[in-house]
Amino acid sequence: MQKEAAIREPLILGHKSYHDVTEDVCRPIEDKAPRMWYILFGIALIIGLYGVGCILYLLGTGIGVWGLNKTIGWAWDITNFVWWVGIGHAGTLISAVLLLFRQKWRMAINRSAEAMTIFAVFMAGLFPLIHMGRLWVGYWVLPLPNQFGSLWVNFNSPLLWDVFAISTYLSVSLVFWYIGLIPDFATIRDRAKKPVAKKMYSILSFGWSGRAKHWNRFETVSLVLAGLATPLVFSVHSIVSFDFATSVIPGWHTTIFPPYFVCGAVFSGFAMVQTLLLVMRKAMGLEAYIHTKHVEYMNIVIMVTGSIVGTAYITELFISWYSGVEYEAYAFLNRATGPYWWAYWSMMTCNVISPQLMWIRKLRRSLMFTFFISIVVNIGMWFERYVIIVTSIHRDYVPAAWSMHYPSHIDIGVYIGTIGLFFVFFLLFARYFPVLALNEVKTILKGSGQSYKESPDYHKHH
Amino acid sequence: MTRKYWKGLEELKETPEFIKQRENEFPSQVSVEEFLSDDKLNETSTARRDFLKFLGFSVAAASLAACEAPVTRAVPYVIKPENVTLGMPTWYASTYYDGSSYTSILVKTREGRPIFIKGNKDFGITKGGVNPQIIASVLGLYDSERLKNASIGGADVAQSKLDAEVISALKSAKKVTLISNTVISPSMNRAIGTMAADLNVNGATKFEHITYDAVSYSAMREANLQNFGAAILPSYDFSKAKSIVSIGADFLSTWLMATEYAAQYGSRRNPEKEVEGEWMSKHFHFESTMSISGSNADYRGMIKPSEQAAVLSYFIKGLGGACAVAANVPASAEKAAKEALSSLKKNKKNALVVCGSNNVGLQLLTNQLNSLLESYGTTIDLNNDLKLFQGNDKKVQAFANQVIAGKGSDMIIFMGVNPVYTLPNGAAFGKALKGVKTTLSLAAYADETTTLCSHASPDHHALESWNDFQVKPSHYAVAQPTIRPLHDTTSALESILVWNGKASRAGKDSNVAYDYIKETYATIFPLGDFAYTTHNSCENITVAAATALTYKSAPITNLPKSGALEVILYQKAAIGTGVQANNPWLQEMPDPITKATWDNYITMNPVEMEKWGYVTTYDQEHGLDLATVTVNGLSVTLPVYPLPGQAINTIGIALGYGRGANGEKIGKAAFQTKEYGGYEVGENGLHVPIGANVFAFASSNFELEAVGTIKKVDGTYKIAATQIHHTVMGRHSIVRETTLDTFLAKDKEAYNPAHTLQKLNKEGHHEERPVSEFDLWDAHPVEKIGHRWGMTIDLSSCIGCGSCLVACQSENNVPVVGKDEVRRGREMHWLRIDRYFASDEEAAVGQRKDKETFSYSKAELAAENPKVVHMPLMCHHCNHAPCETVCPVAATTHSNEGLNQMAYNRCIGTRYCANNCPYKVRRFNWFNYPSYKKFTEVNPAQDDLGRMVLNPDVTVRTRGVMEKCSFCVQRIQATKLVAKKEARMIIDGELATACSDACPTNAIIVGDWNDSKSSVFASSNSKRAYQALEEVGVKPNVWYKVKVRNEVNELLSSIQVVKEAPHHEKKKGQH
Repeated sequence: MQKEAAIREPLILGHKSYHDVTEDVCRPIEDKAPRMWYILFGIALIIGLYGVGCILYLLGTGIGVWGLNKTIGWAWDITNFVWWVGIGHAGTLISAVLLLFRQKWRMAINRSAEAMTIFAVFMAGLFPLIHMGRLWVGYWVLPLPNQFGSLWVNFNSPLLWDVFAISTYLSVSLVFWYIGLIPDFATIRDRAKKPVAKKMYSILSFGWSGRAKHWNRFETVSLVLAGLATPLVFSVHSIVSFDFATSVIPGWHTTIFPPYFVCGAVFSGFAMVQTLLLVMRKAMGLEAYIHTKHVEYMNIVIMVTGSIVGTAYITELFISWYSGVEYEAYAFLNRATGPYWWAYWSMMTCNVISPQLMWIRKLRRSLMFTFFISIVVNIGMWFERYVIIVTSIHRDYVPAAWSMHYPSHIDIGVYIGTIGLFFVFFLLFARYFPVLALNEVKTILKGSGQSYKESPDYHKHH
Repeated sequence: MTRKYWKGLEELKETPEFIKQRENEFPSQVSVEEFLSDDKLNETSTARRDFLKFLGFSVAAASLAACEAPVTRAVPYVIKPENVTLGMPTWYASTYYDGSSYTSILVKTREGRPIFIKGNKDFGITKGGVNPQIIASVLGLYDSERLKNASIGGADVAQSKLDAEVISALKSAKKVTLISNTVISPSMNRAIGTMAADLNVNGATKFEHITYDAVSYSAMREANLQNFGAAILPSYDFSKAKSIVSIGADFLSTWLMATEYAAQYGSRRNPEKEVEGEWMSKHFHFESTMSISGSNADYRGMIKPSEQAAVLSYFIKGLGGACAVAANVPASAEKAAKEALSSLKKNKKNALVVCGSNNVGLQLLTNQLNSLLESYGTTIDLNNDLKLFQGNDKKVQAFANQVIAGKGSDMIIFMGVNPVYTLPNGAAFGKALKGVKTTLSLAAYADETTTLCSHASPDHHALESWNDFQVKPSHYAVAQPTIRPLHDTTSALESILVWNGKASRAGKDSNVAYDYIKETYATIFPLGDFAYTTHNSCENITVAAATALTYKSAPITNLPKSGALEVILYQKAAIGTGVQANNPWLQEMPDPITKATWDNYITMNPVEMEKWGYVTTYDQEHGLDLATVTVNGLSVTLPVYPLPGQAINTIGIALGYGRGANGEKIGKAAFQTKEYGGYEVGENGLHVPIGANVFAFASSNFELEAVGTIKKVDGTYKIAATQIHHTVMGRHSIVRETTLDTFLAKDKEAYNPAHTLQKLNKEGHHEERPVSEFDLWDAHPVEKIGHRWGMTIDLSSCIGCGSCLVACQSENNVPVVGKDEVRRGREMHWLRIDRYFASDEEAAVGQRKDKETFSYSKAELAAENPKVVHMPLMCHHCNHAPCETVCPVAATTHSNEGLNQMAYNRCIGTRYCANNCPYKVRRFNWFNYPSYKKFTEVNPAQDDLGRMVLNPDVTVRTRGVMEKCSFCVQRIQATKLVAKKEARMIIDGELATACSDACPTNAIIVGDWNDSKSSVFASSNSKRAYQALEEVGVKPNVWYKVKVRNEVNELLSSIQVVKEAPHHEKKKGQH
C-alpha cells in the first residue's frame, strides 16, 4: 500500500470505510432518481431533440441553412467540432497521463471525466459528418476497397488524418473507460436485487469475479491502455490543428498550432470537468470524495495550460509582425482591431486573464469562483476557435472576396442541440453508471483517507 | 412507282393462316378480371404458394426498377436532320438589334436549340463587340412567360381572327399611328412605307409612323441639323482618337453604338503598341455618376450635369474658340480638364470629344469643339451616318400629349416600344390608352403597354425570325432564325404585310418575311447572293462619296439648369432601359461599378453621405438607409448607395427598374422573391417589382438630368452585392498599376517586380531569388509535355463590362440564386470581376503611397474620386493547387494538362478546398438549385422551357458539391477532338473559353502554354505579366498584365523605381 505524507490533505474526507464507499457510489443507482434528475433530463432532452430537428432540416435542405458563404466555408460547424474535441481531452489526460504519473487524486474524477470525454467526442464527431454537403456519401473518407475503379482517399488531406485521429481516440477512450467500469459494474451486479438490473449489470461486468488474477489483468490492461492513450492525448488535437496549420490561409498557416491546440484542449477539458463535477458532487452527495483539494489541483492545471495558451496568443501576434508577411500581419491586426474585435477580446479576456486569477489561493479554492471561471473558460475557448476559423478566412488574400459571417438560427440550434444531447448522455451516465471509480478509490482509502491520516497509527509508519 | 416487299412467301401467297395471323397482329388484351375469372385457371398448376412467390418477386422487381431515375421526355431523332449531328454544335451567323444595341453575332445551337451567343469577330463592323444584354438575350427565348398567342382583350384568339379585326380597324380608323423603336431594317421600313402609301391615299395623313427611343439621342440629331444641316448621328472611330474626351457619354457600355466603340477603344489601350511605334490613347472623362467608361479613364473629373457646359466652354476657349458660356471648371475636375486641354491641343485632328447629354445646347458646344479640333473627317465621320436612334423627341411628346388629351389617333400600333413604362408621362399615357378605339401591341410580353392594349399580336423572339438591318449606309446585315418558333407567335414584318394585304399567313414555317427580305436584298444588291450574305450575316455597301458637310455655328440656348441637388438617370450595363428586366442572368450580374445585383438605388458620394448622416457601409445584415428623391413633384424611395466618384451634390439612379409595377406578367424573374421562395406581395396585393421606375424623372424633352431634392426617411434596405469591400488595401501582388511613362522608360523591376525570397547560394551567402525558383512540392509533370492550358488577362484592356461573366454563366449552366442568396454572399458565378477603388493611402490601385505611414483603416476607404481597376478572377488552375491537397476524397485533382479539375460525383462537400483557395473562386452548391423551392422563380433550370438553355456538355450540379471554373474543359476537349480527327496540332487561337470568346476588347487570351509560339505564352512572358499572389507559391496558370494608365502620376513614378541591390549582395564574394 502506498503511503502519503501526512501534511498532504487527505483525498477522501470523512471517516469512510470500504463499505461506505460502496454505499456512497451505488446509492444513486439503486435509489429512485430524484425529481431534479427528471427535470434536468427533460430539459436536456428537449434541447437535444430540437438540435436533432435542426440537423434533419439541414440534411434535408442543404448546407445553405447555415450562415456560411462563398468566402467563409467553415464557421460554427468546425468551431463546435474543435470545441467539443478540446473538451474531450481532459478525460484521457486524467485517466492515462495522470495514471502514468501516479496522481492518485485522479481516481475521484477519472470516471466522469472519461464519460465526459466520450460524450464530447460523440458531439465533436457529429460536426464533421453533418458539415459535409453530401453526408450520404461521407463513407468515401474511409479507405475502403471499392468498385469505383482505382479511387482511393487522399492521404495528403488533414481532414482524412482527422478521421483516423478522432476514430482512434474515440475507440481507445471507450475501451479504457469500459475496462475501468468492469469491476464497478460487478459490485453493482452483486448488490442488485431487481432481476432486470441484475441481468443487465452482469452482462456489462463481463463475469468479473474479483479474483487476484482478474485484478492483475485489470491493472496490466489499464497500464497498457494508458500507454496507448497517452500519445493520443497529444496526437488528436495536434492533428485537428493540422486542418488549419497545413493550409495557406494567413491566421491558419501557423506552426505553433499543435502544442497550442493541445494545451487549449486540456485547458477547456478541465474547465468542463469542473463545471460538471461541481454540480455532481453536490447532487449525488460525493463531497467527501471530490472536494476542495481536487478542485484546487484541477485549477492549477487550468492555470498552467491557460498560461501556455496565453503565451501562444502573444507569440502568434509577435510572429505575425516579425515575419514581415503582409497578409499574416494583416490577419492578426484584423483579429484584434477588425470587425470581429469583440470575439478576439472576449477570447483574450476569458482565456488569458481569467486563469491568472488562479494564482490566488483563496480564489482557486473557492468552489463558486471555480464554477464561474470554468464556464468563462469554455466560452473563451469557443471564441478562440471562432476567432481562428472565421476571422482568418473572412478577410484573407483577395479583398474583393472579403465577407462577414452571420449565424443562422439553424447554426445556433445545432450547437445548442449538441449541448442538450451531451447532457442527455451525461445524465443517463450519472443515473445508471458508477460515477466514481469505486474500486479504485478504495485503493487509496487507507493511504489518503481522512480517518487514516488522522489516526496515530498512520504517523507511526513514518 | 413504289415497290412492294413481302415478309415471306406466306404473305405473297396470302395463305389463310397468314391472313388470320395478320388480322391478329397484336394479341387481344385480356383484362385482369377476365384472366382471374377464367375457369381454366383452376386447372393450371400454379399453386397458391407459387403465386405468392411470383407476386412477391414481381413487387420486389417493380420496386427495384422504380428506384432508377425516370427518363423524361427524351425524344430521339428518327431521321437525322441536315446540319444537326448529335453532340456537335451548329453555329449560325446572325445579327442582334434590340432597339438600342446592335452587333454581329454567332449563335451556337445544340440539337436545334440556341444555347449561346457571342460576338462575331470575323464579319461585321462590331468586331466581336458585345455587351451582357446581348449574350444573355438567348435566355429570353426560353422565357415561359412570353406571349404564346394572339389575343384580343386579354383572351387568346386565333391569329386569323386578330388579323381580320386589325385589317378592318385599319380600314375604319380615322388616324392610325405606328409607334416603334428605331427601325433599321430596310425590309420593315419598306413594309411600313408601303402601308403608309396605301393608307395615305391622295395625300391624306391617315397613317403616321413615329419613332420613339426609350433613351433618346434626339438632341445630337438636332444639333447636327443646326450645325451641318442634316439631322444625323455621325460614326465615331475611337481607334483613331489619340485623345478622347467624354462628357458623360458611357461609350463603352450604353452610349450609341457602344458595341463598336468598345472594340475600337480596346485596340488602343495596349501599351505595348506604343513600343511598336503605335500609340495608346489618352482618355479623359467628365461625369457625375461613375460609369464603366469613367472607371476606365486615364483622368476622370467629377462634374455636375449643369457644369458640362462649363467644361466644354473651357476647352473651346482653350483652343481659341469663342464661347458665351463661362468656363469655370469645378475643382473636382480641374486637373483632368487641364490635362485634357493640353492633350487636345497636342492631338487636334486626332482627338475626339463626345457628350452623352440629350441637351441640344451641350451637343452644339460639343460640335463646336470638335470642329475647332478639326476632328470631323478623322475620328468623326458625318458621311457614313449611324441609323440608330432616329426618334424625334418633339414628335413623340406631341403624340403622347395628344393621346393623353384624348385627341389623338383612334388606332395605335406599338412595335418594340413600351411607352407606358418609359415615357416620362407614361402613367397618364397608359390611362389615356383606354380611350383609344384600337390599340395593338406587337410586344413579346404582356408588358406595361401591352396589358392596356385591346389587341396583341406577339412578335417572334429575335432568334426565331428573319430580319435585315442597315445600321449605317455602308453596312447591310441579316438576322436568321436559329430555331423554329416555339409558340404561335408571328413575325412583326409578316404581320405588317398581312395587315396591309400584301401577304397571307402561312403558319410556323411561313416564308413571308424571308421572301420579303430577299426581295429587299435584291434591290440593294442586284447581283448579290443572299445565301452567301446570310452565311456571313452581313455585306458591305459601297456608298457614293457624299458632299462634305460644313460646320456653321448655331446659337446655344437652354443649357441644363443647376440646382442644389442634381439627379442623373443612367443605364446599367446589365439592365439598360429595362427591356430584359425579367432576365435572371442580367439581374444577377453584379453592376460593374457598384457590384450590387437585383436592385437600383440612389448613388451618392460617401463623403457627402457622411455629412448627411447616411450609413456608408453595408453587408449581408446591414442595409443602406432609405431616402426619398423628389423631382417635378414625383418621388421614389430607394436605398442610398455609397458610390465613390459621384460628383458632390449629385445623385444617380438607374433606369430600367420597377418593371411590372402593376402586376404585368413580364417574366418570372422580374419580381422580388421571399426568403423561402415565392414572390413578395405588396400592400396592393401585387408582386413587388425590383427597384423603382425613374423614367418619370426625365424632363419633357427626354433629358436624363434633372434637379430635385432628397430626404432621408426611416428604415434601411438590404442590398445584395457581390463585393462589400472596395479597396485592394495596397496589396501590390494582387493588382499592379503603372503609368505609360514608367512602363516605357523603366525596367520591369520598377513597376512589376518579381517577388523574391532569400536563399543560400553555393558560397553559403544569402541571395535574393525570385519566388518561382522555390518549390515546396514536386512539380506537376506539365512543363513542356503535352498541353498546358494557360490564360492571360490584360488589366489594361479589360473595361469591366461583364460580358465574360454572363457568357460563363450561359456556357457553364451556372445557377441563378436570387437576391437573398447573393446578399448572403453565395452567388455562384464561376468568373467574377473584382472592382477596386484606389484609396487615399495608395498612389495607384495596389501601390502604397508610403510604406511607413500606411494605415489599414484609411486604406479601407475609397478616395473621393478614385482610380478604378477591374480584375476578372476565375479559378487559377494552380499547379500547386492548395485545394487539391486538402480534399479528403481526391475529388479535385490536377490533370496532366495543367487543369485543376473537379469531379462533382466524387465531392462530398467538406468545403475545405474553398477555404484553402487564396483566390476564393470556388463555389458551393448550398441548396439544390435546380429544384429547391427558393429558386423556382429565379433559376431558369427550374422551368421546363428555361431548362432548354442549358448546355448539354456541362453537368448541372447537385446540392452539396463544390464547383468552379473549369477553363471550359468541354471546349478544350472539343477542340482537341477536332484537331485529333484532322490529325494535326491545335492551332493557336483555336481554343476559346466562354470568357475569352465574349470579351469585346480581347483582354483575355487562352491557349497552350507549352506551345512556345502561342500567343498566351508570349503574353505571359511580357514585361507586364505577373501572377497574382505569386508569393503564396501556388504556381497559377493565369497571368495578369499590369494596368497601364496613360497619365502623369509623379507620386507613382517616384515609388516605382528599380530598387538598389541589397548591400550584402553587392559585396558578394568579398566575405
